[in-house]
Amino acid sequence: MELLLIIAFGGALLTYILGKLSPHIRDSFAVIISLVLVVIIACLYSRSVEKTFYFGFFGLGLSLRLNMLSWFFAIAISSLGALCIIFSLSYMKGRERTNFYYLMMLLVNAAMLGIVLAGDLVSFYIFWEIMSWGTFLLISYNRGAALAAGMKYIIMSIIGSIAMLIGILSFYTRYETLNISEISTLIASAPSGYILFILIVFGIAFGIKNAVMPLHTWLPDSYAEAPSPFTAVLSGMLTRMGVYGFLLLMYVIVGLHNVITPRLLSYHYILAWLGSITIVIPTFIAMLQNDAKKLLAWHGIGQGGYMILGIGFGTSLGVAGGIFHTLNHAIYISLLFMSVGAVQYRTGGERDLNSLGGLIKKMPIAFIGGFLGIAGLMGVPLTNGFVSKWLIYKTLILQRSPFLAFAALIGTWGTILSVYKFLHNMFLGQLPEKYEDVKPVPFSMQLPIIILSATILLFGILPGIPLKVINAIGTSFGFEPLNVTIWGIASESGTLNTINIFSALLVAVIFVWMVFRLGAKSVPVSQEDSYAAGAHTPVDKYHYTAEFYNPLYRMIKPFLRDLIDEFYYWIASSVRSFAGGVRHIYSGDIGYYVTYIILFLAFLIFVQLKWKPW
Amino acid sequence: METMVIKVMQIILSPILALVVGVFFLGLARKIMARIHWRYGPPLVQPVIDIIRLFYQKSVSHGRMFDLGIILSLAGSIVVVLFLPFGKICPLSSSGGLLVILYIMLLAPLGIALSGGQGANPNISIGISRKLILSLGYEVPLLLVLLTIMTRYKTISIVQVVNIQQSTGWSLFSLPLFLSGLSYFLILPAILGIRPFDIASAPQEISSGPMAEYGGKYLALATIEHAFILFISIALFVNLFMGGAANIVVFFVKMLVVFVLGLCINAVFPRFKIEQAIKYLWKWPTLLAFVGLIITLMIK
Repeated sequence: MELLLIIAFGGALLTYILGKLSPHIRDSFAVIISLVLVVIIACLYSRSVEKTFYFGFFGLGLSLRLNMLSWFFAIAISSLGALCIIFSLSYMKGRERTNFYYLMMLLVNAAMLGIVLAGDLVSFYIFWEIMSWGTFLLISYNRGAALAAGMKYIIMSIIGSIAMLIGILSFYTRYETLNISEISTLIASAPSGYILFILIVFGIAFGIKNAVMPLHTWLPDSYAEAPSPFTAVLSGMLTRMGVYGFLLLMYVIVGLHNVITPRLLSYHYILAWLGSITIVIPTFIAMLQNDAKKLLAWHGIGQGGYMILGIGFGTSLGVAGGIFHTLNHAIYISLLFMSVGAVQYRTGGERDLNSLGGLIKKMPIAFIGGFLGIAGLMGVPLTNGFVSKWLIYKTLILQRSPFLAFAALIGTWGTILSVYKFLHNMFLGQLPEKYEDVKPVPFSMQLPIIILSATILLFGILPGIPLKVINAIGTSFGFEPLNVTIWGIASESGTLNTINIFSALLVAVIFVWMVFRLGAKSVPVSQEDSYAAGAHTPVDKYHYTAEFYNPLYRMIKPFLRDLIDEFYYWIASSVRSFAGGVRHIYSGDIGYYVTYIILFLAFLIFVQLKWKPW
Repeated sequence: METMVIKVMQIILSPILALVVGVFFLGLARKIMARIHWRYGPPLVQPVIDIIRLFYQKSVSHGRMFDLGIILSLAGSIVVVLFLPFGKICPLSSSGGLLVILYIMLLAPLGIALSGGQGANPNISIGISRKLILSLGYEVPLLLVLLTIMTRYKTISIVQVVNIQQSTGWSLFSLPLFLSGLSYFLILPAILGIRPFDIASAPQEISSGPMAEYGGKYLALATIEHAFILFISIALFVNLFMGGAANIVVFFVKMLVVFVLGLCINAVFPRFKIEQAIKYLWKWPTLLAFVGLIITLMIK
């Protein structure tokens, strides 16, 4: 296991050095490293190890720990990382600072592996910081607007880190150990006030990382400005380190029985409500976006809400749904970002939805990726997103929380509107003339898209494969095991059987297709040859995409301003003006400083004479 | 073995029955509308004649997705029928319940939208945009209604909802669910896309919206699809609020009553604008559904 991290970090550095020699060796080396990591982690399946490897850190042991939870996240991180590296090969070709890019990609991946394998909070914190700073450098890779986005990210990230540090220090002063399993046994006897304090400080850190409202504001800009392959990593796994954090915090460190309390205003219940708010508002904001990556970014926030809702709700179905949704989300959102990346790659970085269109015939693979991606995002049956959402809905309904369920369900319908616009404006409708000769992307970009698309269907039709692992995680938290079969979940109050749905749909599609073939043949026509009810058809492009949901815009726009972001900006600007005021004191004239020092001494002397505190 | 055969027979027969009923409703709707307008109207079998004729007529295609979309849409509707109990028949009852029905119902508009999307016609885009906005409009009360039912009966299985009603009486006549039923009835025309909610197709305005590029067999499939949607939305109402039925005949009589009642009330209204429709849907039906849900939560 140490070997794993040594390979991960060493590989990152070696890639950088090799890149100085030749870009070709570097590319293949980066791919090999990322694939080797996947293989090693896959071999570690269902092992449970805990190892202390270093004692020197202020007398604290730094340790690594492998169990079902960390394996689950590690395999997701490494596989997704490998796919994104493969995708980067063509995408980053010919750009500047590629050595640096690969170094950071692998470093961030290694750091994420470190986080999920960390057995104590010191190493957890160190890896967490490596990840945050690596992310900052990659977000601002493109400079310009990206720099501002990166700045926003790192400021929020630092606030989170400080909150976490406070929590870690309080653990240390209280228990004099930072080993996760030792803390989790010691904390059982802690007063509930202290547990609440721990839950809140760590919750701020993880909430910022997972972009839970109202801590979400860093995310849209960062996702939009980062290079597309990295956005796939960022949205897929990196942001979801927050979910891992919440799982670790709530069910490993603090423990099921301390977190899930029947009181109405308990921590987990409030978290579930925050999750549901995080579902609804960002999804509706996504509808108003015209930038492909920003639209997906807002969905990234919204889908994070489902995970938090499931995990926060704290039933065995809910937690399983939350964890499963994390995996599913990673698959389809990175697929979608890759699909956008492919379009950007061939259209000169265009991501404005109003100026694309009709690319389905030019880039069929990217379209399939986009289509299955949005199907997963919506949760259409037979895609992976459906199963995890089904688990969450079911537990919400049966536990008499219809309002949470309503938030989750209406979020899905909002999603449909915005992702249809996403797909339609990029791939359907009329093809603009300037994209007449667009070619499909190279194979190294198609391969990750194909693999991820296949995974969406695989986990949608046979959800039992990942659910088996998730069930083991849930059991290790102390939840009742679920009755998982390979194609769904069996229970008294409603079973899910995806294989039935799949066969029914397959037969129905084949049947309708045969009927369709029986009818008179249709004539293929060009896009200009369309019906206009006798009116004159203009010859140039009239793709009706700009302001696609205009009537709805007019109705809901006043309610959907990102007030929280504006509030943060207000704080930032007031801090800046305050700092500007402070700067006047530091005039740079040495005479002033002498005056300040004398005044301060005079003040101290005055205090001493008057109250004699020393 | 014998149960297997019966099951397969049910799977084959139920979509056919649904199609017959749906097409009959289409014809009936035209007849009733005509009589309200003081016209004689086409014969009842006119939709059947139209469908057969359309299959033999020439059509145009705008590409792969244009074909696949409509196939997917119709296949989705057929699958929903398999999940709905009518009478005692429900071939795929134990595969996920109401939540699955709710989600597979998505495939129908989605398929049409994808198919129309490749049609590259501004009328289609306007139509789809309106259709999706309208569906967001009626989904708000609809979801509240379904959640009320599922919370009340503590199950997500539609078969159980029907079974419970058969022992305790129609949920339409129990207190909190009466409000939900009323709300569903009020949004039914929006789900069906009939007056005053025929905003998405609006033939005189945007030349049938999403269907503008369809001709020949495409139009035939779209008509069949419409028949299925009619069947599904009304059958869902009968199952959820009128206790399903002991046999198929009673079930169809109940459906007929609901359909004719809905049609007669709404036929005299002029078409809404999309904003007016949303405002209406998010006001009274949502309010009723919401109050119903609150009361359901309070009485435990």
